[in-house]
Amino acid sequence: MFSSNYVRSGLILIMISVVCLTAVSAAGQTPDEEKIRELEREVAELKAAVEELRALGLAEDRLAEIERRLGILAEEMEDLKVGEAAVKVSRDQSISGLGPAASKVYQKDQGVSIGGYGEALLEFFDESRDDGSESGAVDRFDFLRAVVYFGYKFSDSWVFNSEIEFEHASTSEGGSASVEFAYLDYVYRDGFNLRTGLVLIPMGWLNELHEPTVYLGAVRPRTENRIIPTTWRENGIGAYGAFGGFDYRTFVVNGLDASGFSAKGLRSGRQKGAKAKAEDFAWVGRLDFTGVPGLTAGLAGYFGNSGQDLEDAEGDSIAVGTSIIDLHVEYRYRGLELRGLWARAELEDVARLNEALGYTGNQSVGETLEGGYLQAGFDVLAGRGKSSLTPYLRWEQINTQQEVPEGWSSNPANDEQLLTLGLAYQPIEQLIFKAEYQNIDDEAGTGVDQFNLSTGYIF
Amino acid sequence: MGLIRLNLLIVASAVLLVWGTAWATVLITVEEALELAFPEATTERQTLFLSDEQRTTVGEESGAEVSSSLATRYVAKGPDGAVRGWAYLDTHRVRTLPETLMVVLDADGTVRRVEVVTFREPLEYMPREGWYEQYKGQELDEDLALKRGIRPVTGATLTARATTEAVRRVLAIHAVAAEEGTQ
Repeated sequence: MFSSNYVRSGLILIMISVVCLTAVSAAGQTPDEEKIRELEREVAELKAAVEELRALGLAEDRLAEIERRLGILAEEMEDLKVGEAAVKVSRDQSISGLGPAASKVYQKDQGVSIGGYGEALLEFFDESRDDGSESGAVDRFDFLRAVVYFGYKFSDSWVFNSEIEFEHASTSEGGSASVEFAYLDYVYRDGFNLRTGLVLIPMGWLNELHEPTVYLGAVRPRTENRIIPTTWRENGIGAYGAFGGFDYRTFVVNGLDASGFSAKGLRSGRQKGAKAKAEDFAWVGRLDFTGVPGLTAGLAGYFGNSGQDLEDAEGDSIAVGTSIIDLHVEYRYRGLELRGLWARAELEDVARLNEALGYTGNQSVGETLEGGYLQAGFDVLAGRGKSSLTPYLRWEQINTQQEVPEGWSSNPANDEQLLTLGLAYQPIEQLIFKAEYQNIDDEAGTGVDQFNLSTGYIF
Repeated sequence: MGLIRLNLLIVASAVLLVWGTAWATVLITVEEALELAFPEATTERQTLFLSDEQRTTVGEESGAEVSSSLATRYVAKGPDGAVRGWAYLDTHRVRTLPETLMVVLDADGTVRRVEVVTFREPLEYMPREGWYEQYKGQELDEDLALKRGIRPVTGATLTARATTEAVRRVLAIHAVAAEEGTQ
């Protein structure tokens, strides 16, 4: 009698479990982790109950039936956890008691994806320049950026992804709110996928990978600020994919706007997708070798005009042909992280551009801009859990006026060398604290050294 | 005639639709992954029920979170009935969304391969195929860790971490799976 009641209770519990499972499925909702765990607990309890019944000598055939049903429930829960892959497993393994509708939940896509990152930067500037004159630089504590990612998966083929950035904390204090990227992907296959919208230009290291936890340094390398103007995004369309040991990206985008170029570089030539002038377009492509774990090596190129119908005094348009190329390499082995980048930009029609923009003397836009850096870091806590402590060193050279047109001069202050020595600590991989000293020299002796502290997070 | 052409068109459209959907539903199906891992072998699905003690052991040995007492594996046997290896499914969160890996073990219990079955995060966070080859031959020791025997991927650190933890978890489960009463 006792055993019979036990069996009845067991069967009732099983029925409740089946009803729960069916309810989850019928509602078409994404399976809730807590619900799954609850069901797991129930199955575990039932399994224990079966063992007790067996010990009490209950009929083996009834126990076998209960075990069979438990197995089915267990499989169902596993399928809920495995998700859509389970759908592809042949269902002729049979799920008794559950019709095809019960499987629909596996095909249900989890649509919205949210993420984000942010960083705060405290900069202490040397009171004097290298030549001994007063720097006049004011120390600054800036909540540099707070970023939110929003993505939406319409289907397995159509995916939207975006990054919305708030820079410098407040628009009333010179900050800004920008869409850093917003694109629609058509995911076709590994080797070929399409992307259109406001896309990140695939050049250098930081333009695509600029979350604070993925690069060493509280302040981004200057080469990736003035020659590759991170975060550089433009409206366009293109393709990306991977084949063999290679990754590629190729886009046609609206070109830079040369009216923003200066002796300091190309940074203000970005159009950022905001009512971008589309008189001139550019092609950008990138090819990386990633076939050996730990090694990424590649090159990228950007080619197009930047005139955007800018005219000279005679009313003739200035094309401002713009070519930018970069070579980049990274090697990681155990705690060691080595990274290098070299970038060079060449501009045409610079003399006419200078005149159109009203520049004089050494204010010329560079006809050639060149820069690069080598960086090494070593995680002394490598392999000992989720924390990392990485001393790093970066040497950088950049000249945004490497060459200027005949009749124009360059400002030696734009020929800079930077040596950065820092320490990055990550208590967990999603948080980072950095401290660094930067010795900044230029050929004019006006370099101002600085000490930086930063905090960064991603989620 | 017109009706036949219309029907043909509908059938063709349905075929194209199914074909198009099949391309991108999952990265690889469980069946395909098993076929890749164990060609010409028969596979049998097994469900493992870990006891609380075993679950604790798995957590301690792997250093990874063990969120479930259930584990799914496939045992592969050759025509002679000899075990050729095992394939474990492990579903876990990467950043905010889950992925499912198939961790394939050789008959000697070392890792043969790791297959990504589903990946819900943006594909930018997924390492390339070659990166997963680092796990081949790995066993549950200190070297099976990021920045030791496993090199991280720039921009996909969380995926690399999640993958390494999953492989450690599977190896630890496999170690306790031989115990009586687990299946």
